[in-house]
Amino acid sequence: MKKKTIKLLFATLAVATIWTGCKKDKDLVPLPQPVQNEPEVFTTMKLIFVDSSNTSNIKYATFRDPDGDGGAGYDIFDTIKLEPNKTWITTVLLLNEIATPIDTVSNEVLEEGVDHLFCFTPTGSSATVIKTDLDANNRPIGLQSKWRTTSTGLGTMQVELRHQPGVKDGTCSPGVTDISIDFITKIQ
Amino acid sequence: MNKIIYIFFLLLFATNLQGQNDTCKSSLLGKIIDEHDKSPLEFATIYIVELNKGTSSDSKGFYKMENICNGNYTIKISHVGCTPIETKIIVKGKTNKNFYPEHHTEILKDVEITSKKSIEQTTQTKNDVSEEKLNQSKGQSLGDALKNIVGVNSLNTGNSISKPIIHGMHSNRILILNNGIRQEGQQWGVEHAPEIDPFIANTLSVIKGANSVKYGSDAIAGVVIVESKPLRDSAGIGGEVNIVGMSNGKGGTASAYLEGNFNKIKAFSWRVQGTLKQSGNISAPKYILINTGLKEYNFSYALGWKKEKYGTEIFYSQFNTTFGIFGASHIGNITDLKTAFASPVPLETGAFTYDIGRPRQHTEHELFKLKSFIKTGDVGKLSLIYARQYNLRYEYDKHTPLNDSLKALNRPDLKFEITSHTADLIWEHNRIKQVTGSIGISGITQGNTYEGRALIPNFRNYSGGIFWIERWRKNRFELEGGVRYDYKWMQIFKYQYVGNATYELITPIHKFENVSGNLGAIFKKDSTLNFSFNLGTAWRSPSANELYSFGLHHGAAAIEYGDNTLQLEKTYNAIFSVRYAPIKKLHFEISPYYHYISNFIYRQPASAPVVTIHGAFPAFYYKQTDAILKGCDFYLNYKINKSFEFTSKASLLRAWNQSENNWLIMMPSDRYESEVTYRFKKYKKISSSYLSASILYVTKQWRVPDNSDFVPPPNEYYTVNLHASCSIKIRNQNLELGISVFNLLNATYRDYLDRFRYFTDAMGRNITFRVKVPFNIGFKSKSINNNN
Repeated sequence: MKKKTIKLLFATLAVATIWTGCKKDKDLVPLPQPVQNEPEVFTTMKLIFVDSSNTSNIKYATFRDPDGDGGAGYDIFDTIKLEPNKTWITTVLLLNEIATPIDTVSNEVLEEGVDHLFCFTPTGSSATVIKTDLDANNRPIGLQSKWRTTSTGLGTMQVELRHQPGVKDGTCSPGVTDISIDFITKIQ
Repeated sequence: MNKIIYIFFLLLFATNLQGQNDTCKSSLLGKIIDEHDKSPLEFATIYIVELNKGTSSDSKGFYKMENICNGNYTIKISHVGCTPIETKIIVKGKTNKNFYPEHHTEILKDVEITSKKSIEQTTQTKNDVSEEKLNQSKGQSLGDALKNIVGVNSLNTGNSISKPIIHGMHSNRILILNNGIRQEGQQWGVEHAPEIDPFIANTLSVIKGANSVKYGSDAIAGVVIVESKPLRDSAGIGGEVNIVGMSNGKGGTASAYLEGNFNKIKAFSWRVQGTLKQSGNISAPKYILINTGLKEYNFSYALGWKKEKYGTEIFYSQFNTTFGIFGASHIGNITDLKTAFASPVPLETGAFTYDIGRPRQHTEHELFKLKSFIKTGDVGKLSLIYARQYNLRYEYDKHTPLNDSLKALNRPDLKFEITSHTADLIWEHNRIKQVTGSIGISGITQGNTYEGRALIPNFRNYSGGIFWIERWRKNRFELEGGVRYDYKWMQIFKYQYVGNATYELITPIHKFENVSGNLGAIFKKDSTLNFSFNLGTAWRSPSANELYSFGLHHGAAAIEYGDNTLQLEKTYNAIFSVRYAPIKKLHFEISPYYHYISNFIYRQPASAPVVTIHGAFPAFYYKQTDAILKGCDFYLNYKINKSFEFTSKASLLRAWNQSENNWLIMMPSDRYESEVTYRFKKYKKISSSYLSASILYVTKQWRVPDNSDFVPPPNEYYTVNLHASCSIKIRNQNLELGISVFNLLNATYRDYLDRFRYFTDAMGRNITFRVKVPFNIGFKSKSINNNN
């Protein structure tokens, strides 16, 4: 009699185990998540240059990698072409074109300005950059800047976005790289 | 080991002598059971002095002697590591008698473990982590414990992720059998440690060499076997509490189990077990590594219903861990990595804390197993094993999402889930003349899904296999042969970018089939010398990420391109092993090996980096080559006198990429380890006391292909470890105390196989304290008489 009880107990425990113990199987294998659900990526950086002496003279330079890192490579990688001896009011626009609607990530960088810094490193014939915007701690961000061009020629401009949570001190070294693009510059 | 072989053969001859007197038809039978943990003892000798006749117990501890005349006899029970029992018995008719030998030394326990498991011993090289070493590594990860076996290394990602490497191979080239079940989730990559609570392991062993015949795919380099204790089969309640404290990381681990068997319902046994672990930021000799804390909670239970003719066992375990990924190891691009490497101290250091921030990982693993057996008459045994595994992993990036609505969701940036169902049906036949064997079929189905960043696509696979193994033993020879056929079907579900901001769902199907074989031999010249040789084959199918990777692998700072035309990888492997023990004090083992792997899948660096919005990344293509991995493992143990003991181990490996005509990357360099142990005499209630010091020397790995790594391999290094332990008898229970000091000299070093070597030195000095308190309630007696 008692044996039976134990047998029953054993069976109950066994069933209870199967019932409660296991997490549900994922049966959604044939339906991968929509691509839009992937974590946000930067697909596009757009530089907009406005001639300070003639606001209808506007230049653009774009880098675009439409499916994010890796995979298919970039499909737009412009050369920055600016005229010499001018000051250009420059705006950086960052987009995530995988998301629908397209996400303007630069707005979020601005919101988190205290953790972000743009760094512009010219070589050769390029431009000298002065950042003109400030974060809540009165440190530059770099979404807005003035580019001064002088002599004509070829060069490069490295545009870097540094993510510096809690360590932003106005210099480029702390933190990690969110964005780093070496644009070719042509001052002509 | 040799002693066992010796005894075994002695018995083999002894059994041949029996059956002389036809008028005496009585028999003596029963079970040999370990007095302490109640596990059955295999290869115990049962010897009747008056008749000069003996036998040995089988894997379940059973023994049987037939054709004995009724009468009074003196019987001797001996087992390696146990105090021999000598007792008078009366044999009348069919006499049933169990014996309970007691272990008298801890020293021999590792030998005894080998003997218990020898039913599984194949012609391949099998090594166990000795109980002493298993105790010393309490509180550390499974990978750390396995490193005690010569020829086994670990591939680490910092301190919390440690994957075993056998003969230079890891991840999906090693099969981990957790309680007899294939551990899944290991195909996800090198930064995914096996999700197994080391406290579940009662024995931990490694079979080196290819063996797909018995274990199915993936057993290319070898098999790691994690076995929990057999369920209690004598009435009573017992258990054990383990407490471990660690100085580095100020960590603590507590683990306990409780098990029982009812007096009235002997067939039913149960056990519950659980482990809690927490540690904070660990330290390298010169700085604290930020965000390296860990939290873990695991539990398991087992229920068994066992009769002589049939039985059922349920095992359930859950493993949950959350740990930080060293903050300074997170990089944006290759320039960041080089900056991090050039810096003498990590770019971010901080104070000690238990808090786990970003980046971090959370992992859960669940195993449910049902195993039943039924004896098919006197001919054999049929077993059915079903298991379900569920594996979940969350990865959180350092960066919280910029988008506020995404940030509010606090979703992991990457989430993997894999569910596997496995079923095996195996029929083992008892000895027919000199041959034992088994035949079986097995099936697996798996579903893998992800959310977040695309890394490993969704897939579903079904695979099945059928195998047949036979083993012939006679006198000093043993031969083993087996053959297996496998079929695998896999479908991938993935969105592929087709240009113009459009993605298309692709659902390619891959099919693989393979025949594997195995042939092995053992020759035992005498008790001092034996040779074993094994020729094995094994295979694995390319994993989903090797086929379909198409993007940035953040953890590896590399852009990886899969190749959907990859073929299955096959290995042909030969291992030769010589065990030589010319005198009792000396034991020497040498085992050279050779793996030829056709279609070896590896990552080949591309000539030019890939430009992304984050800057330049090195690109890698999954390729196939023919590879040769050859090497040799050495083991030497010399007992200088009763107190002093010297052990030395060495493992050497050369790995060559045939088609590139170059070295293979990420292979362990040569390692040498020596240990001196001083064992104290028993003093009053204190026994098994020892003090040991070991030194590990790891050479610099210069055998690497050029320009395939971000930075050159680190230099050679030495570490010194100390261990001390003793056992105190309190109320018939052996309380065990131990202390270990790892990296005693607080040496600063970096290991080639640590993926954090780009960013930080390895862990500094770590002192661990451990206490093991066993307890046992229930009746105890040396032997039970049950005359029929």
